[in-house]
Amino acid sequence: MTDPHFLTIAEASKLIATRRLSPVELTEAYLTRIEALDRLLDSFVTVIAERARAEARAAEATIMASGPVSRMHGIPYCLKDIYETAGIPTTAMSKLLADNVPTRDSYCQEKLVAAGGVLLGKNATWEFAHGGPSWDILYPPARNPWNREHSPAGSSSGSGAAIAAGFSPATLGSDTGGSIRGPAAACGIAGLKPTYGLVSRRGVIPNCFSHDHAGPLAWTCEDLAILLQVIAGHDPEDPGSANVPIPDYTAALTGDVTGLVIGVPASWLDDEDPPTPETKAAFEAALDVFRGLGCLVRPVNLPPLRQYDDAKKTIAVAELFTIHGKDLRTRPHLFGASLRYRIIAGGLVRAEDYINAMRLRTDLARAMQNVMQTVDVLMLPTAEPAGKLEPIPPSSLFTRSSFTTPFNVGGNPAVSVCSGFAANGMPFSLQIAGKLFDDATVLRVGDAYEKATPWRQKRPVLAVTETA
Amino acid sequence: MTTMPSDDEIILLARQAGLDLPAQYLPELIEAYGNVRRMIERIPTGRPHGDEPAHVFVPAKFLPVGD
Repeated sequence: MTDPHFLTIAEASKLIATRRLSPVELTEAYLTRIEALDRLLDSFVTVIAERARAEARAAEATIMASGPVSRMHGIPYCLKDIYETAGIPTTAMSKLLADNVPTRDSYCQEKLVAAGGVLLGKNATWEFAHGGPSWDILYPPARNPWNREHSPAGSSSGSGAAIAAGFSPATLGSDTGGSIRGPAAACGIAGLKPTYGLVSRRGVIPNCFSHDHAGPLAWTCEDLAILLQVIAGHDPEDPGSANVPIPDYTAALTGDVTGLVIGVPASWLDDEDPPTPETKAAFEAALDVFRGLGCLVRPVNLPPLRQYDDAKKTIAVAELFTIHGKDLRTRPHLFGASLRYRIIAGGLVRAEDYINAMRLRTDLARAMQNVMQTVDVLMLPTAEPAGKLEPIPPSSLFTRSSFTTPFNVGGNPAVSVCSGFAANGMPFSLQIAGKLFDDATVLRVGDAYEKATPWRQKRPVLAVTETA
Repeated sequence: MTTMPSDDEIILLARQAGLDLPAQYLPELIEAYGNVRRMIERIPTGRPHGDEPAHVFVPAKFLPVGD
């Protein structure tokens, strides 16, 4: 059997259901590994070992008596430290929330508790899921398990690192411009930004209301499907929540993608923001895999990438200031320098500018949906392989465009999967985006790719005593 | 592009927004505003009167839970 800490959710849940794996032993395996190795990565800011052991014992007793209530029953997981957890600190890595202990669980945490999951702790994030990496906030930044000198990207940085390192098989992050898909890409795992409104944001500390998405990170798309099944659904307490039917996401993973039409945003990749030759080669190789699986690949044209970034970031800086204005006015010294720079000018954005950015968002979202009607999915690299973990100019937020933000603007589901490894050992990434509320197809395509390629067989090595 | 406000004008705009920052934060405010302003200048204007933004009020979203 695979080392328990490297079992996927799908594998572990089968073993638990057939009583060949104890949730107590599985939880202990993760806690032991976190205790021994997380000092190398700083992927957790809070570990709740005794509570996790108690939850595991309770799960085991229930499963032994009456069987599992879900595929997450007895499965350990963690949460980005912006998900509110009753009785457990929720800091967003900010000195401003150093003493924050919520009294109510976030919607997603409630769902995971009801599904019988075992919470291990809270993951590192960039401050308030926006500014970073930072060395002047509550905790140090997480590191990349594939190379500790490299960045796990952000803002769900600890989430990405923890999954790749085998500290947990499941975690939830948040994605406002790419903060699930970026860390998933950097850490060589799978991360899904669901359709806007599919997963409730209630109890997730906001970054930018109009673009925030809650979603899962795991080793495989199959595991993402299991997690999405638990957390997707209508929540009347989230004004952005959609009341739509929830399909069986794991049943959708047929492995068959024959005949699917894949659109490639040609002008973004060829003209506006060409990837490095190494990344482009990895992307072309991934497209060849899909051609081999019976897909048709063709170019599509979308509005300029820059417009998606300008609309989103103008909206975001105004919304962020609205959220943090009081603290900026009264105790600006408690913000990390990176976050403060990124939101300080938001108070100077005029209402007219904000609304015109929202009008542009309407145009861009419509353009995205029009193109999506001509294809089944879009594909492009998620990001370049992760660079060194080092301070980056906070101005880069405003000057660099990204391949992830357009799907926050459009609200479309998008997953990042591992698509190989660069010469320096860092993971390549492939982004697959789909039609609104067609998260099942996005996961089906990602799952088919993972099963057709060898990339899920390789894990990072954290200590000299480990072997890949 | 319209003329970028001077440093003193940016500080005044911030004060009007209720942001009376200690001097140590003014250089980052001025630099950050320059970046934000350049973004805003690229956003199209001159739209039709009835052109609604992405977020509109949907009253059904605010019915009491259980209704």
